[in-house]
Amino acid sequence: MIDLTEANTNLVKEIFGDDLDKIGDIRKCYNCATCISGCPAAEGDPPLLIRRLVRKVLLGLEDDLLDDETPWSCVSCNCCEEMCPMGVHPFEVGLAIRRWQCSQDETYLPPSLPEVWEIGHTQSVHKQGTLRASLGLADAPPSVCVTPGAIAGFRKMLKETDVIRDNSYMFKEEEE
Amino acid sequence: MKYGLFLGCNMPTIRPDAERGIRLTLEKLGVDLVEVQGYACCPGYGTFPASDEVASLAVSGRNLAIAEAAGVDIAVQCGSCYSVMRHANHSFHNEEKLKKTNALLQLDDKQYSGHVKVKHLIDLLYNEIGTEKISNSIEHNLEGIKAVVQYPCHTLWPEDVMGFDDARNPHKLGDLGRALGADVPSYSREFQCCGGAGGFAARNKPQAVQFAKRKFDAMVDEVQPDVVVVSCITCLMWMNNVQMEFGEDWSPIPVLDYNQLLALCMGFDPKEVISVADTPKVPVDLRFKLAEKITKAAVA
Repeated sequence: MIDLTEANTNLVKEIFGDDLDKIGDIRKCYNCATCISGCPAAEGDPPLLIRRLVRKVLLGLEDDLLDDETPWSCVSCNCCEEMCPMGVHPFEVGLAIRRWQCSQDETYLPPSLPEVWEIGHTQSVHKQGTLRASLGLADAPPSVCVTPGAIAGFRKMLKETDVIRDNSYMFKEEEE
Repeated sequence: MKYGLFLGCNMPTIRPDAERGIRLTLEKLGVDLVEVQGYACCPGYGTFPASDEVASLAVSGRNLAIAEAAGVDIAVQCGSCYSVMRHANHSFHNEEKLKKTNALLQLDDKQYSGHVKVKHLIDLLYNEIGTEKISNSIEHNLEGIKAVVQYPCHTLWPEDVMGFDDARNPHKLGDLGRALGADVPSYSREFQCCGGAGGFAARNKPQAVQFAKRKFDAMVDEVQPDVVVVSCITCLMWMNNVQMEFGEDWSPIPVLDYNQLLALCMGFDPKEVISVADTPKVPVDLRFKLAEKITKAAVA
C-alpha cells in the first residue's frame, strides 16, 4: 500500500522546474509501456521502467524516487522519445530525475565530472601518443587539454555553474 | 566541402584506427577536414546532462562556438556526441537558454549564434557526398561479402531533432554498404540497439551481454554475415568486445566502422585503419583476413 499522506505534492515542480515543455505533459501518461518495449535498460536488474518513474513523480513519492537508481542505466538511445503516443518525453523525464537526484544527494554525482573538469574529457585523449603516431595520426586530438591556455578558460566558464560551485571540493584548480 | 571533425573522447583514445579511417576516406572524397581546436567532451549524457543542464549547454555551446568561429559545420561519428549536440542546438531555439549559455561562454571569450549544423557521418556520406561518388572512389569492391549494418540509435530518435533517415525504417547505412558492392541483407533484429551505451552495460553487464547475444544469434541464424558495419564508436567498441563474453563456442564476427571498410576498399593500409583492439582478447586477425579477401577482389 502506498502511503500518500507523506507524498510531496510539489515534486513535479521540484524536479522539472519551469521547463515543463521539455518533458511534455506527464499527466497524460497512462502507463501503456510503449516507452519500455524495445528499451534495453528495461531488461536490467532492476529494470528501468520509465512509466513507473512517471507514477512516482506524479504521486509525489519523493523518498522512493530518491533511492531509485534505475534512471542511471539508461542508454540514451531516445527510442522512448520517438515512440511515446502521448507526447511525453520519457528520456527527458529520466534525465531530469537524475539531475534532481544529484541536487539532493551528492553521491549521485557522476565520477566522470572531475575528469571532464580536469582534462575536458572522459578519456585520457592526450595519453595515446605512441599508438596514434603509429597509425599516422597527430599525438593528440585538438583537445582543450593540449591547446595552450584553453583549459583555464573552460574552467572559468564552468566555475559559474551550480554543479561546480556547490561541489567545489571535487573540482580542484591545479597549475597547468 | 569543409567540415569540423568532432572526435569526442573515446575514438581518439581507444580506437584511433577508426579516426584514421575516417580522416583518410573523407579527405579522398574531397572533404576538407578542419580541426575543432580546443574542443572538449560533447558532454556525454552521463556527465553534465545528468547533473546540471546549464553546465551541459555551456560545454556543448562552447564546442559549437569553436566550430562557428572557424566557419564550419560539424561532422561527427559518435552517436552520443551527435545526439547531445543536436539536443543542445534544439535547446538553443529557446532564446533564454541561448542567452544564459552565451553569458557563460563570454567568460571563455566565446559566443554562439545557435546556427552551426551537427551532421552525422552517415548523413554526410549519403546526402552530401552521395553513393555514386563513393562507388567511383574505390579500388576494391565487396562483391561476395555479406555485411549487416548497425544503425546508431542516437542518430535515429527522436526524428524531429535527429532525423536524416527514416526513423522507423532506416536504410542509408545499408545503401552505403551496397555502394561498395556488398550484399546487405536485413534480419529480424536489425534495428535493435547494441545496448552498449550509458549505464546499462556498466550497471547490468550480464543482462547487456544477453541483450547483445540475442541480436548476434539472430544475425548468424538468419544471414551469416562476414562483417558487422557500424557508424558509432560505442557500437564499434561494444559489438567487438561483447562477443568475447559469448563463451568458447562463439565464432567472432569482425566489426568495422563504415569508414574503416571504405578505407580498405580505397586501398589504404589495413595496419593504419583496422589494427587496434582495446581488449587483447579481440581477434584482430579476423579483420586482417577480411582485408586480405577485399584487397584480392577484382578492381571495381
